[in-house]
Amino acid sequence: MSLKRIRLLIWKEFTQLRRDPMLIRLLMLMPVLQLILFGYVVAVDVRNLSTAVVDLDHSAISAKLEASFAGSGYFRIVAHPSSESDLRPLLDRGTATVAIVIPEGTQDRLARGETAPIGIVVDGSDSQISAIGSGYASQIIAGFNNDLRDSAGVSLSPPGVDARIRVMFNPTMDPVNTMIPGLIAVIMMISLMAILSQAVVKERESGTLEQMFVTPIRAGEYLIGKVTPYAVLATAQMLVVAVVGMLWFRVPFSGNVWAVLTGLALFMLTNIGMGLFVSLVSRTRQQAQQAMAFLMIPTMILSGFIFPIESMPALIQPLTRLIPMTWALIVLRNSFVKGSDFGPLAVPLLVLAGFALVIFTAAVIATRRRISD
Amino acid sequence: MSHQQHTERGGLAARFRREAPTTAAESELAISVHGLTKTFGDFTAVDGIDLDVPRGQVFGFLGPNGSGKTTTIRMLTGNLRPQGGRARVLGEDVIRHPDRVQRRIGYMSQKFSLFEDMTVDENLKFYAGVYDLNAEQFARQREYILAMADLNGREDELTRNLSVGWRQRLALGAATIHEPELLFLDEPTSGVDPVARRQFWDLLYELAGRGVTLFVTTHYMDEAAHCNRLAFIYRGRIIAAGSPTEIRAEHFEQRIFAISSADNEAALTWLEHADGISEAYLSGASLRAVVPASSALRPEQLTARLAAAGVPATVSATEPSIEDVFLSLVAQQR
Amino acid sequence: MRATLDRIAAIVVKEFRHLGRDPRALLAVVITPVLQLLLFSYAISFDVDHVPTIVVDLDQSTQSREYLRQYQASSFFTVVAEAKTMDAVDSAFDLNQARLAIVIQAGFGQQLASGGQGEVAVLVDGSEPTSARISQAYSVAANQLYNQQLTQQWADAQGLDLSSLGMLEPRVRTWYNPERRSSDFLIPGLMVVIIAIVTVQQTAVTLVRERDLGTEEQLEVSPLRKGELMVAKLLPWTAIAFIDVAVIIGLGRWLFGVPLRGDLGALALGSALFVFAALGLGLLVSAVAPTLDTANILALLIAFLPSFLLSGLAFALDQIPVVLQWLSYAFPARYMVTISRIVFLKGGGFADVWPELVALAAYAAAMIAISTLLYGRRAAR
Repeated sequence: MSLKRIRLLIWKEFTQLRRDPMLIRLLMLMPVLQLILFGYVVAVDVRNLSTAVVDLDHSAISAKLEASFAGSGYFRIVAHPSSESDLRPLLDRGTATVAIVIPEGTQDRLARGETAPIGIVVDGSDSQISAIGSGYASQIIAGFNNDLRDSAGVSLSPPGVDARIRVMFNPTMDPVNTMIPGLIAVIMMISLMAILSQAVVKERESGTLEQMFVTPIRAGEYLIGKVTPYAVLATAQMLVVAVVGMLWFRVPFSGNVWAVLTGLALFMLTNIGMGLFVSLVSRTRQQAQQAMAFLMIPTMILSGFIFPIESMPALIQPLTRLIPMTWALIVLRNSFVKGSDFGPLAVPLLVLAGFALVIFTAAVIATRRRISD
Repeated sequence: MSHQQHTERGGLAARFRREAPTTAAESELAISVHGLTKTFGDFTAVDGIDLDVPRGQVFGFLGPNGSGKTTTIRMLTGNLRPQGGRARVLGEDVIRHPDRVQRRIGYMSQKFSLFEDMTVDENLKFYAGVYDLNAEQFARQREYILAMADLNGREDELTRNLSVGWRQRLALGAATIHEPELLFLDEPTSGVDPVARRQFWDLLYELAGRGVTLFVTTHYMDEAAHCNRLAFIYRGRIIAAGSPTEIRAEHFEQRIFAISSADNEAALTWLEHADGISEAYLSGASLRAVVPASSALRPEQLTARLAAAGVPATVSATEPSIEDVFLSLVAQQR
Repeated sequence: MRATLDRIAAIVVKEFRHLGRDPRALLAVVITPVLQLLLFSYAISFDVDHVPTIVVDLDQSTQSREYLRQYQASSFFTVVAEAKTMDAVDSAFDLNQARLAIVIQAGFGQQLASGGQGEVAVLVDGSEPTSARISQAYSVAANQLYNQQLTQQWADAQGLDLSSLGMLEPRVRTWYNPERRSSDFLIPGLMVVIIAIVTVQQTAVTLVRERDLGTEEQLEVSPLRKGELMVAKLLPWTAIAFIDVAVIIGLGRWLFGVPLRGDLGALALGSALFVFAALGLGLLVSAVAPTLDTANILALLIAFLPSFLLSGLAFALDQIPVVLQWLSYAFPARYMVTISRIVFLKGGGFADVWPELVALAAYAAAMIAISTLLYGRRAAR
């Protein structure tokens, strides 16, 4: 291995990158733009559920009940249909996702000391919303009941369990704090893989790859020379994107900066390695492109970025561990939200390092064997 | 040759100066191949070929596209491992020690392998660095190459903006920047106009004149005439080898008539069905008719027969060209 | 008219022959989306269940064990460990081994026995917001239920009649998806996303490749008009993509049991229009991109993240900033996800989805028109 030749290769790569107009736009501008745009999408919290209220009672109690729903912050009253049959089209079109039906005679029933049923209709097609919506609704009603009892002057003090329910790590349960770090990783992955997967194919198609391998340049030198400039650029990208994301969305950070940077750097290496590997084994640019889409879709879906791994079937969960992004997300989310230090992050960091090692070894082997196909 | 080239010769005679071979090792063959075979799955690209290329010669490796030329070159440059056979290049076993060979050879591919998004100067600087030239050597080579390729004043242009002729010469310069003893050229003139082709071969002659061995593959048959020795490859097999004269004498016993007519197509149709004519084909703007060696047919007789058939033409006996020889060899293979 | 159809047919035949020559690529294009859908439909879900829970019982009394039994009995909670210290709880959270912790301090049983309030700390890991919300709601509900039982027991012991107190009782009805299976919600959307990604990339590359090979110039000299060229190019891929969609719908229905309550005809028309629109988008990309590299990357950017994030697959679109909502209408996946869900789950038909159908048709037409214009301009240069 000649350091001189490696330096030469790095110089060549930088020279070429400088002349690529799309590159800066792709590597820096687009990721930042995407982060900001999509950050708003993934940060969406389940609040302000569009709610329709069917008040068939028209009483003081029903008005009060509606007020507690409206005031909770979880429900946004959008319609007052006059009957249940008018409700159907609203939910069909998705204008409302929750409906409260207060039957006729509710106030009277309460006055007589009877149980008065309140209908809560949820749009089950979105199971998250329906679960959360019905949960909130039940809580609000329970609170309303307590108020009723208190105002009725009945003091009961039966023995009971006082469960103090506390949410640790991300007490507001705001998705921003976990999704933005995840989105940073996703955006990095996409831009790096896109660029790297074309890197070698370009040279194979123009014949310069073959030319280089007739010279004393060795496979390892070539790879290091290729990877280094991209790694440098990717690091710059990572810092820019992460800082912008954190500042723009005000994501709190309490973990160990070095742990996060190490994790991101290792993740970046695995992406560069995979993009390079795809580039090495593909004959044409189109093949490289298809291979990449093929790799990235499962990563988006199975890494836990959108769909929680815990909700996946037992058979699938081990598969998710084969995806580098899964581990990167653990490092990121734990750092941002739980303030984890190197200790608890040791396993995911080591796994990421292992991935990087394996992938680069594969790339070296692929280089040695396939250059002249 | 141009005035400029004369001056180059005189002024930079130091480039490529070779002493006459003194030791037995040095006078060895530049390339020695025995039974070289390469398969891709169940397709045999190169089928047990033998080749000998003496030093200092211009060796032509001819064959149609897909016959195994590029595969062979890849094996000889150490970029592809053969399934069987032996190959020695410049005295080294290229299969086992490709790196030793690669230091001493040059290679120019048919795509001209220049970095499109780098300037002329940057390309040269890269290859100089790869071969470990020091500053003084690089300066000297750079001066020579820029002059040879007529690129003085255009050093900062991106190579993708150069036209084919210039790129070709620049590629040659880059391939020889380290003054290799042996130069592989894979279809170096494809896509280049005939004038540029001729000029390019002048450059190649110059190199040969300085003792560089040239191994050239091409599918242009007329370029075969430029070579000291030839080998024809067809579907992975060597079907003829030797100097052009040897090959002609050994493999071609028929006689050739050159025929030109106002209506070549009609003439061709008639010839293809005519008695006593083994083969007829179009070659350039005229036709060639192949007649068995035993035939006593004379050109005037053919002219008469053609006229009688309503296709007036001029017929003359002529020497078989390399293309004729090759076509008849290929026909024999089928 | 006849001439137009003939010309279109000629190009379509050429395209099919092209495809036939590379069977591996063809297989990849047709089979891969189906395989991916199979795998992912099986995998993805938002259902929260079997939440790993760690329990710390420092009281070890009958009452505490009685209380803990409700968690062990419920399928929602899965007790993975019983610990003795808070450090163990911290560590379990740190290592993502538990998402919920129940901590009962010493003296719990005594407090209950003496008629007071027993304190329990329920710690929820908020780092996975959806699960956290649902876990929180469940815990609240579970504790409310337990307290109701205790109150009832106490009242019975005291001889009190509690039924004289008026209370509201929530009766929850879930429409369209009574079992609340998230897969029924996700699979119709997933199908759209995968097709969107694959088709946009496919076409984007096709025309640029053709241009690079130089055949585009040849076609421009011919009497073929630009519009016909566009339509002709799209048809073969439309057919293939449509086959994919049909297979996927079938799989969703019969393999994964996603109920198809609505009008299959509306779904079919929607799918066809959607495929055309997605391909049209790819066409636009190829018309805009100067090089193959750019086309590839642009197609990727336009197809990938927006399909996942702006189509309504997993993130509710009525909650995001308005600007982004408008942006989501720039991608055909958005319309198709709506159609898909309305037809599958809500039993909708043409009357319910006609706005989206019209939108998709207009979208496809617009894409073709703009691409034609851009191609003309490029050739004129």
